Amino acid sequence: MILHPGILALLLGSILILLLLLVAGGVALRILRHWNADSGSATQLQLERQTWLVSTLLKYAFGFQIVTLFLFLFTLDEIHPLFVGAMCATGSLNANLVGWLVLLVKIGLVFAAAFWLAVNYLDQRTEDTPLVRIKYVTLLLLIPLVALDLWLQWEYFSGLRPQMITSCCGSLFSAEGEGVISTLAGLPVEQAMPLFFAVVLLYAVLLLASLRWRAMLLRTLLFVASVLLFFVSLAALVSFLSLYIYQMPSHQCPFDMLQGHYYYIGYPIYLGLFMATLFAMLPGLCRPLATTLSLDEELKSSEPVWLRLALFGLILFLVTSCWQMVFGPLILLGY
Amino acid sequence: MILNVKLLEYSLSSLWRRKEKNIALIIVYALVIATLGSVLLLTHALKTEAVTTLTAAPEIVVQRTQGGRHELIPVTYAETIAGFPGVGKVTPRVWGYYYDSLIKANLTLVGVEGYHEQLELLEGRFPQAADECVIGAGVAEAFGPQIGDLLVLEDSSKRRSEFRVTGIFRAASNLLTNDLVVLQEAALRDFFAMPAELATDLTVQVYNPREVSTIAKKIAYFLPDSRPITREELLHTYDSLFNWRSGMMLAVFISALMAFLILAWDRATGISAEEKREIGILKALGWETSHVLGAKLREALLISLTAFIVGLLLAWLHVFVLGAPLLMPLLKGWSVLFPTFDLTRVVDLYQLAVLGCVTIIPYLACTLIPAWKAASSDPDDVMRG
Amino acid sequence: MSVDINNNGPLIRIEDVSKIYHQDKPDEVRALQNISLEFFPGEVVALTGPSGSGKSTLLSLIGCMARPTRGTIYLQDRRVSRLPESFLARIRRETYGFVFQQYHLLRDVSVLDNLMFPLYPAAIPFKTMRERALVLLAQFFLTDKQKTKVRQLSGGEQQRVALARALMADPPIIIADEPTAHLDAELSLELLNILAELNTEGRTLIIASHDPVMCQAPLISRRVALRHGELVDDNRDGAGL
Repeated sequence: MILHPGILALLLGSILILLLLLVAGGVALRILRHWNADSGSATQLQLERQTWLVSTLLKYAFGFQIVTLFLFLFTLDEIHPLFVGAMCATGSLNANLVGWLVLLVKIGLVFAAAFWLAVNYLDQRTEDTPLVRIKYVTLLLLIPLVALDLWLQWEYFSGLRPQMITSCCGSLFSAEGEGVISTLAGLPVEQAMPLFFAVVLLYAVLLLASLRWRAMLLRTLLFVASVLLFFVSLAALVSFLSLYIYQMPSHQCPFDMLQGHYYYIGYPIYLGLFMATLFAMLPGLCRPLATTLSLDEELKSSEPVWLRLALFGLILFLVTSCWQMVFGPLILLGY
Repeated sequence: MILNVKLLEYSLSSLWRRKEKNIALIIVYALVIATLGSVLLLTHALKTEAVTTLTAAPEIVVQRTQGGRHELIPVTYAETIAGFPGVGKVTPRVWGYYYDSLIKANLTLVGVEGYHEQLELLEGRFPQAADECVIGAGVAEAFGPQIGDLLVLEDSSKRRSEFRVTGIFRAASNLLTNDLVVLQEAALRDFFAMPAELATDLTVQVYNPREVSTIAKKIAYFLPDSRPITREELLHTYDSLFNWRSGMMLAVFISALMAFLILAWDRATGISAEEKREIGILKALGWETSHVLGAKLREALLISLTAFIVGLLLAWLHVFVLGAPLLMPLLKGWSVLFPTFDLTRVVDLYQLAVLGCVTIIPYLACTLIPAWKAASSDPDDVMRG
Repeated sequence: MSVDINNNGPLIRIEDVSKIYHQDKPDEVRALQNISLEFFPGEVVALTGPSGSGKSTLLSLIGCMARPTRGTIYLQDRRVSRLPESFLARIRRETYGFVFQQYHLLRDVSVLDNLMFPLYPAAIPFKTMRERALVLLAQFFLTDKQKTKVRQLSGGEQQRVALARALMADPPIIIADEPTAHLDAELSLELLNILAELNTEGRTLIIASHDPVMCQAPLISRRVALRHGELVDDNRDGAGL
């Protein structure tokens, strides 16, 4: 099973990401031990230059992580014919339940890396770089997560047995199934749809308010709303948006939309959702940093950019995911 | 935004100024990509070919085994199977292999009755008399006859039989029809000296795809000496086989990639004195470490993308235009499985994504540290001479 | 802009600065020791002293190319001695024009690109940059050479390209290291004229040289002498050493 070319590529990619992070981690340890911003010594100068190496390593690791996340979903779709009963990527995931964990860790890593890069960006723009210690301690915490990703992937792929009989999205996401996912999918459209639009509305109002006012409370609320938006949107994608996207009353797969038959519509949908979530979380997340004067200055100039990017993400997400709902011929709710 | 464009422009200028070195690097890189790409494109094309063929295949094929070997199956079995609920038509097929010592090739001789629905694309018409035949494109090429000519075959008792060619297959997928000679069933039984109450195998049509495996189990239970093979099973076997093969070869060629990466690392680390001087001057005059780093990484990206496009084109030409002459010897297993045929020209996004991941990501990762080393020189080196 | 032109206080303040290379290693070099100096707007300063006296090191500290091992440097009110390198780089490209002893031009690059490449990181549109470069090239009689590679230019032309490059960002301070070292008498005089003109435009000039033609020139308003990394003389009246 491991010798599938896509799986080889994924494992190779994850090993490289881990290597990049290990190099970065080595530098991080040296920085944590010897950093002294007031020193004019050659060591300090050397360490400062190495911070650029670390941020570049992390940027690339982040980019590679996004690529491998999509390659992972792509591969799941590619290998599903090997499993009896699997009709799409969901079936491949069910063939070995570790797959769901891999997906979770990969998404988590993308978010974590994005946060790290955002904080790093802020810090590198200040003269006194007050966040050096926090940055490099969290960097060290990222390494086990990357290693976990690699290990889980290995477990998943080596545990796959062709011919295994699995269930697919049809049965997994159907109302009869058990577990959280089926419960979500089983949500009647009459309830899921208002919930989704209520959360979108709440999020949008908070976002626009945050653009206008710089209150701490607004940012905290926006943070909560964006986390809510992320999960409610995923649930909505499974429970009713997918039905509109595929124009079929029973196909509830969140992965098929990434395929060519659906004109790769999934990419802008997920990109939009990711941007809307990430950039709306950043102001709330970075707000505690505003106590440092130099960071506060940087935050003042970065926050509006983030909020606008979040707004753009939201619009992209809504337009691409709800397009078919408004203009498509499929009607779920008869009015 | 302006910065990005300007750094890109600088990278292009820098690459151009060292074009001999960079073109050499791109050529080697493109060759590595072409090798890996050929493996992926070829296996994918073969897989597509097999899948296209198999979708036309019957849901279940029933063979009889005796002593673990494939034996002729009694035609009466067909009636037993046709009696199961959910089963559609059951057709006995007559077919066999024929080795022609003159052109040293294996042909597949089939009786027209068992194949009617599957073989549609035909130039001419199906055989209507005992001395008529329809042949595949590969057979036509090897023996040379056209429609209206005679095809001469020798049966097991060295008796010469002549068949008039009434049609030639021009199938979208050559895989199935390439080495085919289609005769009337009676003529074929006569040629192979096969008794009328036996057939080579049976094809079973099943109405509901969900019932295929149940019916296969039933057949094996009621006719213990039979071996039902479902289409799904065939598909899985092909799929695993191709994935395994291409993965295997990919693993072998990744070592070639490694060798290249060592070269790339070496190239990237050993930047020329002039380039070092240039970076020193720019840093002294106000470039930041991140700017130099950005320019260097853009260079790596430009080299990667150029090599990827060139390599992909080479792989495409190699596999689809030239027929993968450099890989075929390594694929002995396949050439036994299939006769030569033109590959369907398919390239899908997934193969590109895998190829990109395997070649571009390692190269970029390898250039990171050398690029940073080049970028983190002392700005006052210039002043101190 | 990191310099306020209307501020009449000291432009650069160096307080008790030392620079040690390869500190705590066998090949330790104490290039500068406990230097304190102030430079004022509009001054033309000649840094003199034998080779190895620390002139170049002092210039690179003033020019924000390196950070002192000890001590503090202010550019007007901004403490620059402990800034991260990326900030120093920004100050360099906005505030200083550099003319080096060896010119340090990009040899395989055209004259025009030699002027523009150093400013690529600045947030200046490409068009503005090009216009500025063409004006400077005309001023230095290099218009017809703009596409020529620097490798093919004569020594005097290279000197002019180096000067034009130093003026690209319209810097308030010019730092020159042995600018006449590779010039004959005639070209040296031409250079002195150009420098005098730059000073009348209001720019501060800091020139390291041990060439008497340069040090005795009338445009020099102040001489600072270094020996073995220590300050030995600071003469503000323009009198001889």
